[in-house]
Amino acid sequence: MNYLPVEQVINPAAGTVSLAILIFLSLSGYYYMKLAEKGRTFPVRKIRAFEAIEEAVARSVEMGRPVHYTIGYGSIRTAHAPQYTAGLGVLTHVARLAGKYGARLIVTHGVPEAIASIDEIVRDGYFSEGRPELYNPVDNARYLTDVQFAYASSAQAVIIRENAGANIVIGPFWAESLILAEAGTMVGAFQIGGTARDVQIPFFVLVCDYAFIGEEIFAAGAMASGDIPTLASIRGQDVGKLLSIILIVLGLILLPLGVKLATYLMW
Amino acid sequence: MSVVWRRTIPQLLVAIILVVMTALYFLYIDKTTKATLNYWDGLLINYSIVIAAMAAIVGGVDLARYHVSLIMKREREQIPFSLITIILEVVCVIFAFYALATGVPILTQPQFSWIYLNLQVPTSSAMYSILVFYVASAAYRTFRARNPPALLLLIVGVIVMLGNTSLGFAIWPGFTPLKDWIMTVPNAAGYRPIVIGVGLGTIILGLRLILRKEVTWMGRRD
Repeated sequence: MNYLPVEQVINPAAGTVSLAILIFLSLSGYYYMKLAEKGRTFPVRKIRAFEAIEEAVARSVEMGRPVHYTIGYGSIRTAHAPQYTAGLGVLTHVARLAGKYGARLIVTHGVPEAIASIDEIVRDGYFSEGRPELYNPVDNARYLTDVQFAYASSAQAVIIRENAGANIVIGPFWAESLILAEAGTMVGAFQIGGTARDVQIPFFVLVCDYAFIGEEIFAAGAMASGDIPTLASIRGQDVGKLLSIILIVLGLILLPLGVKLATYLMW
Repeated sequence: MSVVWRRTIPQLLVAIILVVMTALYFLYIDKTTKATLNYWDGLLINYSIVIAAMAAIVGGVDLARYHVSLIMKREREQIPFSLITIILEVVCVIFAFYALATGVPILTQPQFSWIYLNLQVPTSSAMYSILVFYVASAAYRTFRARNPPALLLLIVGVIVMLGNTSLGFAIWPGFTPLKDWIMTVPNAAGYRPIVIGVGLGTIILGLRLILRKEVTWMGRRD
């Protein structure tokens, strides 16, 4: 039997090692999901920002103020699509809590492709908790614009004029991250922020009460689903982290011996 | 609408496109196949542009509906802003119809350019410049030395700020190399795990989408 050489199977620009890591991570994630389906349970690390969402919603209801939520602006066709997906996942959780506590939820965004999803998520949140009378599509889900600073100023205006009791911002954010967070600070809102855009993470960490750091927004999406096998997939993510730590330590050990591990990982 | 149309088919489409895109990136493909796939890729992108344009129309209607509701409620403080929004929205629609009737692209119409250059650009710049004050107020709150970590943050922040300015160099030339060391060693060591984590998180999210386990983005449950 004749086998094709590796360079005729794998794209040389992509790299064999990165494909191997992708396959390994996918298999480990799948393995843990299957184990969870069979009834195995795993301890999943807690994300404080995720747990704080319930407190934020409940506090807003106590104060008689609305909950503001935003996933950002832009197009879902870009490389930031996973972050919009994560933002919508957490919105599911927030909408259900809004239904449970009877909070007025205001979702602002600038993603035209997500209008239908957001409407459905908010509607589902109120209906599934038996509070359909609180659902008002015009008030609950507001599309602003997909132009950066026009979106930022509109969202800021909503936070301040509506006197938001909680300000939850999760998605891909650019320069507007601090504008949104500072608007929440101005009205004394309970703030939870999260993004996977590394340059914006410090702003949320500094200004918000709780922050999702990087990949935590993806894990939060799984937590929001409440599905045990979906939650178990986070174990696969943790296996990837363990692998990264092993490779970093190995690289540090090999470096004084004159072996640069990073060169081999580029294969 | 049946569950198949509303949930199963969109989930399958997402899963198939994810698998195909990953395979196209990692696998070697000959030129003829690549040309065919590029054609389909272009077609998909065109579809998505059309969908986004239609979604933007829905967004425009949504926006108008909300501001009309505010005017109907007679909220005195809000009425001027809502009126401006609706008027400008109508003006843009008129420009679009004018472009359709005359064939002159909207971006090259002098009236539209005037609005863009004299309204949107200055207001966007004003919003961007306000950010400076927000950075200053956030920095003031953050850099208060209330505990040892906050003191460390303050010291590092001051070194990085001075290292980025000519004033810092005039005070002590060592600020610049010190700032460079902070940015390339401890800062990079802090950032890289976050970036690696984001990559890992994205892979697992992709896996959940392929296995149709990530369904929260679809909205209504059944």
